[in-house]
Amino acid sequence: MTSGRARPLFPIGVAVVAFAFLGLFMLYPLWNVFRASILDSAGETFTLANYAKVLSTAFYRAGIFNSLLIGILTTLATIAIGVPLAFCVARMPVPGKPLLLALAALPLVLPSFVGAYAWVLLLGRQGILSQALATVGVPGVSIYGIGGLVLVFTLHTFPYVMLPALAAFKAVDVSIEEAGQNLGASRLRTFQRVTLPVVMPAVLAGGLLVFMETLENFGVPFVLAEDMPILAVQAYKLFVGEAGANPALAGVLGVLLVGCTTVALLLQRFYLARRRFATAARTAPPTLAASRWLRWAAGGYAWGVVLVSLVPFFAIVAVSFMRFKGPVMHLEPSLDNFLNLFSRSQRPLANTIMLATAAAAGAAILGVPIGYVLTRFRSGAAHILDVLAMVPFAVAGTVLGIGLVISFNSGWLVLTGGWLILVLAYLVRKLPFNVRASAAILHQIDPSLEEASINLGVSPLRTFFGLTVPLMAGGIIGGTVLTWVTIASELSSTVVLYSGPWTTLTVVMFQALEGTSAGAASAAATVLILVTIVPLAFVYRLLKRHDVALV
Amino acid sequence: MTAIRIDDVARAYGPVVAVAGVSLDIVAGELFTLLGPSGCGKTTLLRMVAGFSKLDRGRILFGDRRIDTVPPHRRNAGMVFQNYAIFPNMTVGGNVAYGLKARHVPGAEMKARIARALELVRLGGFGERWPHQLSGGQLQRVALARCLVVEPDVLLLDEPLSNLDAQLRVEMRAEIRALQQKLRITTIYVTHDQEEALAISDRVAVMRGGRVQQLGTPANIYRRPASAFVAAFLGTTNLLSGPVVARTSAGAVVLADGQRFTVTADGIAEGARVSFSLRPEAIHLSASGEALPPGWAALEARVARIEFLGAITRIEFSYADGALLRVAVLGLPPGLAEGATARLVYDPAQTTVFPAP
Ligand SMILES: Nc1ncnc2c1ncn2[C@@H]1O[C@H](COP(=O)(O)OP(=O)(O)OP(=O)(O)O)[C@@H](O)[C@H]1O
Ligand SMILES: [Mg+2]
Repeated sequence: MTSGRARPLFPIGVAVVAFAFLGLFMLYPLWNVFRASILDSAGETFTLANYAKVLSTAFYRAGIFNSLLIGILTTLATIAIGVPLAFCVARMPVPGKPLLLALAALPLVLPSFVGAYAWVLLLGRQGILSQALATVGVPGVSIYGIGGLVLVFTLHTFPYVMLPALAAFKAVDVSIEEAGQNLGASRLRTFQRVTLPVVMPAVLAGGLLVFMETLENFGVPFVLAEDMPILAVQAYKLFVGEAGANPALAGVLGVLLVGCTTVALLLQRFYLARRRFATAARTAPPTLAASRWLRWAAGGYAWGVVLVSLVPFFAIVAVSFMRFKGPVMHLEPSLDNFLNLFSRSQRPLANTIMLATAAAAGAAILGVPIGYVLTRFRSGAAHILDVLAMVPFAVAGTVLGIGLVISFNSGWLVLTGGWLILVLAYLVRKLPFNVRASAAILHQIDPSLEEASINLGVSPLRTFFGLTVPLMAGGIIGGTVLTWVTIASELSSTVVLYSGPWTTLTVVMFQALEGTSAGAASAAATVLILVTIVPLAFVYRLLKRHDVALV
Repeated sequence: MTAIRIDDVARAYGPVVAVAGVSLDIVAGELFTLLGPSGCGKTTLLRMVAGFSKLDRGRILFGDRRIDTVPPHRRNAGMVFQNYAIFPNMTVGGNVAYGLKARHVPGAEMKARIARALELVRLGGFGERWPHQLSGGQLQRVALARCLVVEPDVLLLDEPLSNLDAQLRVEMRAEIRALQQKLRITTIYVTHDQEEALAISDRVAVMRGGRVQQLGTPANIYRRPASAFVAAFLGTTNLLSGPVVARTSAGAVVLADGQRFTVTADGIAEGARVSFSLRPEAIHLSASGEALPPGWAALEARVARIEFLGAITRIEFSYADGALLRVAVLGLPPGLAEGATARLVYDPAQTTVFPAP
């Protein structure tokens, strides 16, 4: 859509605004984290002593090791679970597929630390299930530790692998598959030659997302790791400082964390870029004929995985309506937990709604033009934007939070203690999703529509606002609600950045976890789950129609 | 009525040269077609005129007005897109009104003009319909109406019929031609369908590899192709080549695939290698004793394959070394079976000779 020999100003303008915004509220804070990590305690001279200290301390080394180990195990587990699941949905006769698909993406948006806490209620030391198991003679089953972390992470992140794999299985050109078999190739060889090359890049791209999410997640290890060191939690604790804040060491851990996720992101981008060359089948492959036994197995497996990933959420909602006496639950329905929760203050709920709304709207205002430039222009500005807008993916919320505090707690712009710093953190973190959602929506709008409008005498700018935006509206609304929902349950940067009057629901939940009041925690969890699910149910159709996906 | 002048324009996408220096003078009021195979740069050239593709060099003028430096929304060049590009969120009337609104046409006049435009494309009364309720041919007409209602200086059509089925294509192309004649609007029409190009154009430019290969009226480029490429691209033909072995009063004799052919010869020396095109419909079947018109040439051949197509029959003959010659005759000649021999005759004046490639 270039006009004559004039340089297109729109992409350059958008790039400048995006660069200024991300430069100030992402790159500058990250730079400050890095700076803190390479300066001595006086904050003046350059030193590598902080790195030396971290790498020579067994406790921190263990944190790095544990984080990477959990990341790798979770990635492998999600692939082991997600790929067969995708295959079942794509090619096997599984009953209730539309519902299954709607539910299968849910674990990604439900707050992960709520899930972790729900598993504690089920399989913790006083857990409902573990006690039941103990009475039938199976003691010592526990959700804490590496096994539990990997389990909870896997159930939270498997859609990252399953959804792209599903798309890939559907994109396999069956005629090639059939041709392979006609030529006498065995089923296995056909799978290796035809199916695998299409599915593999998608699976790897998804797997790397899992790895990044696992590495930067703060809430789940906070609930389940107990004394086991984990990078994201250590960075937080060092920064908040139960025994005196140590931004230098927190900075080192933050740099290591961002370093690992950046490597994963670069690999992921590489595979995503190659994935476009996958075959594009015109019709989805047919469902395979299966014996009754196989049908049951496929259906049982698919529904089993999805239900197990959601069960803890059902459980915690049920628990929240029980009466608690101290930490002990009684099987007696009651609204006490909610009354207690809201009698203390209604501020957190109002805060969550207000902050999420502001941040989601901001992400749309910034993200839609960026997505537009990425899909419609091929200039240098577009390439820079493409890279820039994806960087927040690799930045752990905790690290971003720490960076924002270091950067804006004094000097020319003081933001700590207010609401704006939370909104800015959310905005930065959710921008990549919004940009990609906008791009996906735009891919469905033929560029010749815009050209037709310009051709009829409407300037490019007025075409964008008068034609493109209305055409995108449904998708933008859907995408913004999705963003809103994930912001409402954001914990990792919130926990670093919140201040007294700006306590959110997630913070209430977090504080309840630290205390022993399971009743209040489960009530907060239920509110969070509702805040997530109800808006999604409203826009589900919009999301499907405009092809807005989480992955 | 606006003449279009395209002056040595070029455009490369990295190493790919899409348009390699094209100059065209399109007369006011004519229907001018860009014809060529896929990837030859037709769309790029058209989009340069519309303002959606940059020029690396050259100029484009509407009349005396230079427009390649004018942004696309101020060129007043109406374009119809291959996929119609009908706005799905507006009714048919809304689509047609779109350009008028941008021009701030007052309400009453706007209504009248929309109605007139829809009448023009025979969609009167369709204003309230939604695009998804229309057929492909109807969408095509909406696109035309939307474009014509703003009274553009020129009309640009990029393969406007390629998404329609064969019969509708033939109907719509006649309609487009009739409309163009009625409005006398200067039109550039892009297509890769030679029949379509021949059927509707005042003049045709045959393009290849970003260049214009030949420019002329349909009859002219069909009968007198300037190159083997143009001959082959404009319908089926027999392309033969060989050395000139003799000269006769009727022309030059060329030895091709072991057979002597007589071709029109203006200044071809004996011994030179030439290529020539002999159209299937220029070859006739003749009984063996029959006298030939003066100057005509004949050859013996064997029927290799017969394809009966109703109005005409295509026959492939093998001759001399077994090379094949395509012949088209009206109806079904009686008593012709595969394997039979026949005498083929043609007028050397109907051949076209090219310099050997
Ligand atoms: N945006 C672009 N980027 C890179 N190359 C392009 C672009 N647009 C066109 N080309 C290349 O320029 C050449 C001419 O393309 P153009 O679309 O003008 O061909 P065309 O004659 O319209 O073909 P078709 O009949 O297939 O529509 C092709 O080789 C094409 O691949
Ligand atoms: Mg084209």
